[in-house]
Amino acid sequence: MSRGLLRIALSASTLALAIGIQGSIATAQEKPIVIGITSDASGQYANSGASDRRGMMMAIDEFNAKGGVLGRPIKTVHLDTETTPAIGSRVAERLINREGAGYLIGAVSSGVANAISQVAQKYGVIYLNTNSSSPTESGKNCHRVKFVWDGNGTNFAKATVKAAIDKFGKNWLLITNDYGWGHDTSAATKKLAEAAGAKILDNILVPVGTRDFSSILLKVQQIKPDVIAAAVGGDDQKAMRTQIAELGLGDKYAWINNQQDWPDVYGLPRDNLFGVFGTTWYYDLDLPDVKEFVEKYRKAYPDTQMEVPGNVFYNGYWATRSLLEAIERAGSTDSHAVIKELEKLKVPAKERMQHDDAYMNPNTHQMQQTIYLATANPENPDNQNAMFKIIGYISPEKAKDEDADAACKLESFADTPVTNP
Amino acid sequence: MDFLNNLLPHLLNGLALGLLFALIALGFTLIVSVMEIINLAHGSLFALGAYVAMVIINPGFTDSGALGSYYMSLPLGLRYVIALVFAPIVIAIVGFGLEIILRRTYGKKKEYGLLLTFGAALVLEEIIRLIWGPAEQFLPTPDAISGAFIAHGMIYSTYRVYAMCFGIFAIIMVWLFLEKTPYGAIIKAGAHDSEMVRALGINLPRLQMLVFGFGAALAGIAGIILTPIWGLRPHVGIDATIPAFLIIVLGGIGSFKGAVTGGILVGLAVGLTGAYASDWSLLSMYLLLIAVLTFRSRGLFGKKTALEA
Repeated sequence: MSRGLLRIALSASTLALAIGIQGSIATAQEKPIVIGITSDASGQYANSGASDRRGMMMAIDEFNAKGGVLGRPIKTVHLDTETTPAIGSRVAERLINREGAGYLIGAVSSGVANAISQVAQKYGVIYLNTNSSSPTESGKNCHRVKFVWDGNGTNFAKATVKAAIDKFGKNWLLITNDYGWGHDTSAATKKLAEAAGAKILDNILVPVGTRDFSSILLKVQQIKPDVIAAAVGGDDQKAMRTQIAELGLGDKYAWINNQQDWPDVYGLPRDNLFGVFGTTWYYDLDLPDVKEFVEKYRKAYPDTQMEVPGNVFYNGYWATRSLLEAIERAGSTDSHAVIKELEKLKVPAKERMQHDDAYMNPNTHQMQQTIYLATANPENPDNQNAMFKIIGYISPEKAKDEDADAACKLESFADTPVTNP
Repeated sequence: MDFLNNLLPHLLNGLALGLLFALIALGFTLIVSVMEIINLAHGSLFALGAYVAMVIINPGFTDSGALGSYYMSLPLGLRYVIALVFAPIVIAIVGFGLEIILRRTYGKKKEYGLLLTFGAALVLEEIIRLIWGPAEQFLPTPDAISGAFIAHGMIYSTYRVYAMCFGIFAIIMVWLFLEKTPYGAIIKAGAHDSEMVRALGINLPRLQMLVFGFGAALAGIAGIILTPIWGLRPHVGIDATIPAFLIIVLGGIGSFKGAVTGGILVGLAVGLTGAYASDWSLLSMYLLLIAVLTFRSRGLFGKKTALEA
C-alpha cells in the first residue's frame, strides 16, 4: 500500500471512528430512561394502585414535555403486582432483568413493597415506595435503595392517640388487618396509647379479603370500648365502613382509622365516613398552588371518576418528581449519586403544598412531612369531592417515628451494587 | 349463662351468613349439576347483576323528558322491586349468550369449558370496569330495609335480616321449582342422565340454555342482595366465586341440599370464628372443607361414584 493510500485509509478510519463515537453518544443521549411501575392493578389495592400510577405519570409527562431527564426521554413499563408479595418479587425481577428498568416506583401494600425492595436492593436499583405506610418500611425493612414517601402508622398514630384518649376515654379496642401494615400500625398505636395511659381491651384481627364484618361488629358491641382504633385498608375497609354505617355504630363509638387513603373512600356515602383519620394531603387545603395542582390533574385526567387528586396520587406524583429532579441534580443516572441526592432532599412547604417544609430522613429514607388530621365533612353532602374536613395538623418533628430510626440499618454503599441505567 | 348469652348472637349471625352463602351457591350448583360445567364466570354475573340493578334503580335520565322524570319520581322501593325483577332477566340473557358460546366446548375436554368461563369472567369484569369505572359504587336500598334495630341490647342490621329472609325465600322457591314442577323434573333428569332425556324427545340444548340462564339469573339476584353489604366494585365477583365453589364441593357437587347445608355450615364456621378467633375466620371455611373431604370425599350429599362402590 502506498503512503498516500495509507494516509487516506487512516483518515477515513479516524473519521469513521469519530462518527461512530459521536453516533453512539447521540444514541446514548436518546436512549430512554426506563422506569418500572410496580403499582397494583388488581386485588385489594387495585383502585389505589391506579391513582398512584396517575400521579407518577403526571410527573413523568411533565418531564418528557420539557425534553426528559438529562436529555433522555422517560419510558415506563407497568406490571401488575396484584397486591401480592410473591408477584411483587417476580414483577421486580422481570422489570429489572427483562424490561431494563433502571428505577422502580409504586406500592400501596407494605408486603408488596417489602418484597420489591429486597429484589431492588439485590440489584442496586432505586425503588420508591410511594404509598405503603407500615412503620417497618422505613424501620427494620429499610434499604439503601428504597425511599418511602407516605406517612407511616406511627406518624399518623402520633397525630391522633393523645387527643383521642383525652377526649373519648382510656378503654381502647384495636381492629387490625391481618398482614404486615395492619400489625405494625396497630403495634405502634398500642405502644403510644398505653404510654398515654390507655388500656387495650382486645385486638381483633381481620383477615385480608374479609367482606362480612357482622361477627366482628357484634363483638365490638359486647366489648363496649370508648375508642376503636382501626388499621384496616383497601376493599376490607370499604366493606367495614359500609356495615358500621348501616348499624349506626359510627356515631356510637369514637373511631380512629389510622390513615385514610382517598381512593378507599371516594364515592362512598358521607355516612360511611365517620371518625378521625390521618392523611398527608387534601385537595382542598387552603394553601398556595393547590388549586392549580388540582386543575392540572383535571386537565390530565378529565375522564377519571375521581374528579380531584387525593393523597395517593399526591404521593405518587411527588415521589416520581423528586426522583427525576434528583437525577438532574446529580447530573448522572449513577444510582449511588442519585441516592445521595435523595438522602439530602429538602422541599419547601410552598412547593409541596403542605404546611411545613418536608425533608428526607437520611437514616430511614422516609419523607418527613406534615401529617393532617381529618374527619367527614358534614357540609355539601351532594358534592362527592368535599368529603374531608381537615381538623388539624402536626409538624414533621412532632410526627417523627423515632422507633424507625432505631430499627433501620441501611446497607452501606459498598454493599449496594451500582447501576447506571 | 353469660357465655350462652354472648354466643347466641354469633350463632344467629352465622346462620344468617350461611343463608347468604347458600344463596350465592344456588346458581353455581344448578349449572354444575345439569351441565357438568364449573362456571367460573359466576362471580362476574353476580357483580353484573348488581350493576344492572343499580342502573335500573337510578338510571340517571332525569333530564331526558317526562318519562325519565316520571320514572325517577317513583318511590325507591318500587324501583328496587323493578330492579330485583328485571336485572336477573338481563343477567339470564347474558347467561344464554354465554351458554351458546360454550356449546363449542361440549363433548371435548372439561378444561375447555373451564377456560372459557374463566375468560368470560375476565371479559365481563373488564366490561364492568369500562362502563362503570373501577371505583366503588353504591346500590341504593329502600328505607324500609335499611338502618338498624336494637334487640337484647345489641344493634342489628335491618338489611341483613331482609337478606336472610330473602335467602330463605329464594332457596324455597328454587326447591319448589326443582321438586314440584315438571320443568324441575326435566332439569333433574337432565342432571342424572342427559342421554336418556334426549332419548325421551326433550330438547336438551334448549334445556341446557335455560338452566344456564336460570343459574346466571340466580347469580345476579345474589349480587343484588349481597353487594349492599359487601360493597360494589368490578372485582366483587371474586369474593363470591371462591365461597360458592367451596360450598358446592363441601355439600356435594350437584346437590341442592348440599349447597344449602354447605352454605349454612360455612356461614356458621365463618361467623363463630369471626367472633372468637377472627384471624381464622376466612381460613375456617377451608379447614371445614378439608375436614369434610377427609372423611367423605364426595362431599356431604354428593353422588356416590362407581369407584367408591
